[in-house]
Amino acid sequence: MLLLALLGAGGYIYYLDLTVTHRFEGLRWTLPARVYAAPLDLYAGLDLSPPQLEHELRRLSYHRVAALEQPGTYRLAGERIDVALRPAQFADGSRPATVLSVRFGATGIEDLRDSAGREVPVMRLDPLLIGSLFPSDGVDRIVVRPQQVPPLLPAALKAVEDRTFDTNWGVDPMGILRAAWIDLRSHRIEEGASTLTQQLVRSYFLSNRQTFGRKFREAIMAVSLTAHFSKADLMNAYINEIFLGQDGNRSIHGFGLASEFYFGKPLSELDLPQIATLVAIVRGPTYYDPRRHPRRTLARRDLVLRILAQQGVIKPTQALLAARQPLGVTSGASGAYYPAYLELVRRTLQRDYPEKELTEAGLSVYTSLQPRVQELAERALDAQLRTLDRRHHRRDAKLEGAVVVTSPQSGDVLAIVGGRDVDFDGFNRALDAQRSIGSLVKPFIYLTALESGRYNAATVIQDQPVSIRLANGRYWRPHNYTRRTYGPVPVVRALADSLNLATVGVGMDLGLDKVSHTLMRFGLSRTPDEVPAMLLGAIDISPLAVAQLYNGLANGGFRTPLRTVQAVVSAEGKPLQAFPVQVTQVAPAADVYQVDSMMEDVMTHGTGLPAMRILPPGLVTAGKSGTSSQDRDSWFAGFSGGDLAVVWVGYDHYQPTGLTGSEGALPVWAHIMASLGTPSLQMPAPEGVTDTWIDFLTGMGAQPGCPGAQPVQVALPTGTQVPPMPGCAPGTAGTLIDRAGQWLHRLVH
Amino acid sequence: MKLMLGTLVLGGLLAGCALLGPPPGAPTQGTGGYSPPAPRATPSGPPPAAQQPAPFQGAPAPPPPPPRKQFALGPAATALVGAAHAQERSRNFGLAAQTLERALSIEPGNPLVWIELGRENILAGTPAQAYGMGRKALYLASGDPRTQARAWRLIAASLRAQGRNDEAYVAEEKATALGQD
Repeated sequence: MLLLALLGAGGYIYYLDLTVTHRFEGLRWTLPARVYAAPLDLYAGLDLSPPQLEHELRRLSYHRVAALEQPGTYRLAGERIDVALRPAQFADGSRPATVLSVRFGATGIEDLRDSAGREVPVMRLDPLLIGSLFPSDGVDRIVVRPQQVPPLLPAALKAVEDRTFDTNWGVDPMGILRAAWIDLRSHRIEEGASTLTQQLVRSYFLSNRQTFGRKFREAIMAVSLTAHFSKADLMNAYINEIFLGQDGNRSIHGFGLASEFYFGKPLSELDLPQIATLVAIVRGPTYYDPRRHPRRTLARRDLVLRILAQQGVIKPTQALLAARQPLGVTSGASGAYYPAYLELVRRTLQRDYPEKELTEAGLSVYTSLQPRVQELAERALDAQLRTLDRRHHRRDAKLEGAVVVTSPQSGDVLAIVGGRDVDFDGFNRALDAQRSIGSLVKPFIYLTALESGRYNAATVIQDQPVSIRLANGRYWRPHNYTRRTYGPVPVVRALADSLNLATVGVGMDLGLDKVSHTLMRFGLSRTPDEVPAMLLGAIDISPLAVAQLYNGLANGGFRTPLRTVQAVVSAEGKPLQAFPVQVTQVAPAADVYQVDSMMEDVMTHGTGLPAMRILPPGLVTAGKSGTSSQDRDSWFAGFSGGDLAVVWVGYDHYQPTGLTGSEGALPVWAHIMASLGTPSLQMPAPEGVTDTWIDFLTGMGAQPGCPGAQPVQVALPTGTQVPPMPGCAPGTAGTLIDRAGQWLHRLVH
Repeated sequence: MKLMLGTLVLGGLLAGCALLGPPPGAPTQGTGGYSPPAPRATPSGPPPAAQQPAPFQGAPAPPPPPPRKQFALGPAATALVGAAHAQERSRNFGLAAQTLERALSIEPGNPLVWIELGRENILAGTPAQAYGMGRKALYLASGDPRTQARAWRLIAASLRAQGRNDEAYVAEEKATALGQD
């Protein structure tokens, strides 16, 4: 009987030994894809001030020092900032650690030089890690090689967690006896005496349930590992495996990721107090969460420092000095975490990669996100929604919003805000809110009109009651937002003042299919319902889809697919896939120029006018407001010479907001544009079109200074005959005074 | 060898000589998402009022011609374009395209960068994309006949690479009419 029991136990131990050895030999951690923001290119002429560069460096967790030390530091030196850049990996190659000296002048960067004083034409900062695509079990980690680990870390782990690590057989018999005695006395598992190897076994092979059976298996497996593998291998495995924190549904494994998660920098750059903090967290990542329980964690860190001094790992004076340092963890849950943007990244990649490859294969994903733009967009939306909360407070719902910012020329999506709670990884309004776009459709109707050759900005159209018999026999009778009719108005006014009746008249004249076709050319992904209400924007799409449509307007009639991911690189650094810029002309540049010119007038004379109080003087922009029926949706979409932004404000459950596009979304848009430092819109003048002054109310020719006129500049096909406004002599067109007036007008607006 | 030959042919296409001439229209067909509209009738709308003085040309008296533009690359973009050329020589077309996109992010409105990107697309075997970039460069090059000519040559090369030789010939003619590179 005893023999049988012994044989059984021996067989079980042999089985465990085989299992643990086999699995450890093939040890391969699943590595979620790491997602990076677009790195900032520095070059002479870039409009960047020293504080702005410092802000960018701090975002990358560079530290200001008096004299340049290790990579990841910078110093201010008069009109220069010297930076010790870390080694960095980009989509198209790597850059070794290097020293860069950036000299500033009145208008930005004057020159860049390397450590030998040679001029450097262009240099990238590191790409900011903005998150990872971790699997459904939430395990996230950064694997580090032994040479990336500061020697203090294994020494500290041994001193605090397992003093006999170098000599024991994976278990510490004395420790087990001591713990067993305490556990027996209390009749439950209270005391742990786990060696680092046992902790590794528990984390990698076993569940977290504390039972005697599991403790037995853990001990056998630890001994087995120690018998088959070197201590260095076991330490490296421990450093990469162990659980060190929780961030929502994401669990932080390994010291490599923990270093980024808590301190925003690589493990190799941690100093003594920071290493001591991580070693303190090992004992209980929830209990010693430095963000939630800083005092408790600080006390344990100081205990770790004292143990290190007692064990001779560090000098007592070092421990004392380190104990004076604050915890120094980054404020945000993970420093830079943009779930709304990450969601679009994930969707983009899911088209080409199986989920398993994204979450386990260690891919690096390089995106178009610009953290500075993202932060500005988040801030602008949050501020406006807080203001609106005070004015339009509803008890039954919370006002929400979404923002998309793109670079029209490349189609790069620079920022996505999916709602007012930017850290919430949930309903992403920028991608998933399908909302009626209201008057945002009007530029496409007027573009269709211009393309027909029968209309231009000065063409007078009738804003009059409309009654259209629908297929179901009923009549559709839309009205203007003001409930008034305006009679004969030029096209430019119909667009700038967003007159519904005039626009419906034009749209019905053109044909719904023609307008629908224009929208499809600009990137609408499905044919809209071709019903008359389409002409007033009864088209439900997301803010991102609006950004795609308007990108073509901002781009001279060239459609450029919006781009979130630029490139994917394998775990070995091999380029796997690039998402290149694509461009297709979808409308004649001359017609788009005329529409854009009218959209500039929206800003100076129409519904965009309130933005002028916020935008920097002289900044030329073009845009359009949108308000859906019963004020359920407040939109503004518009662009400058370098950036396009789309803003939506509304309630998730479609309650009326009481806000027009100009009241809800426009201030957000204007604050974003104002803070971006964006260039003025300067469209290349196409052949066959001439900038012309007409009266905003009548469409007749009227130069600035013409009595009784509201002169507005529009683009008309060259040779277009426009009747002059009474009192505005045709001979005055183009005189020196008029040109001075035009110059003054542009300056004011 | 094939690459070198292709580069030489393309280089020749993009760097030919011609005289200054009137600005061209669009080619008859393209890979773009629209077909250029038929010549436009003079737009007309209902007259805004019954009695009007004699109509005058809506466009103001023709202003003096603006000084002719001459696009050039800045030092940063020049360095990146140079790096892209080196990558092309090593047949790293994907990397070259990414390097050129860095130049694009620095000078997005410079037609010369778009011409470089288009040229790169032809080398990489994606002439339809090169065509779009040529059209984009042409749009941006307004006022700079020399750069317009280079854009037309890119368009011609992209059309030829797609087997659309007749259209390529027309585009080449437009380049020649515009001037030398």
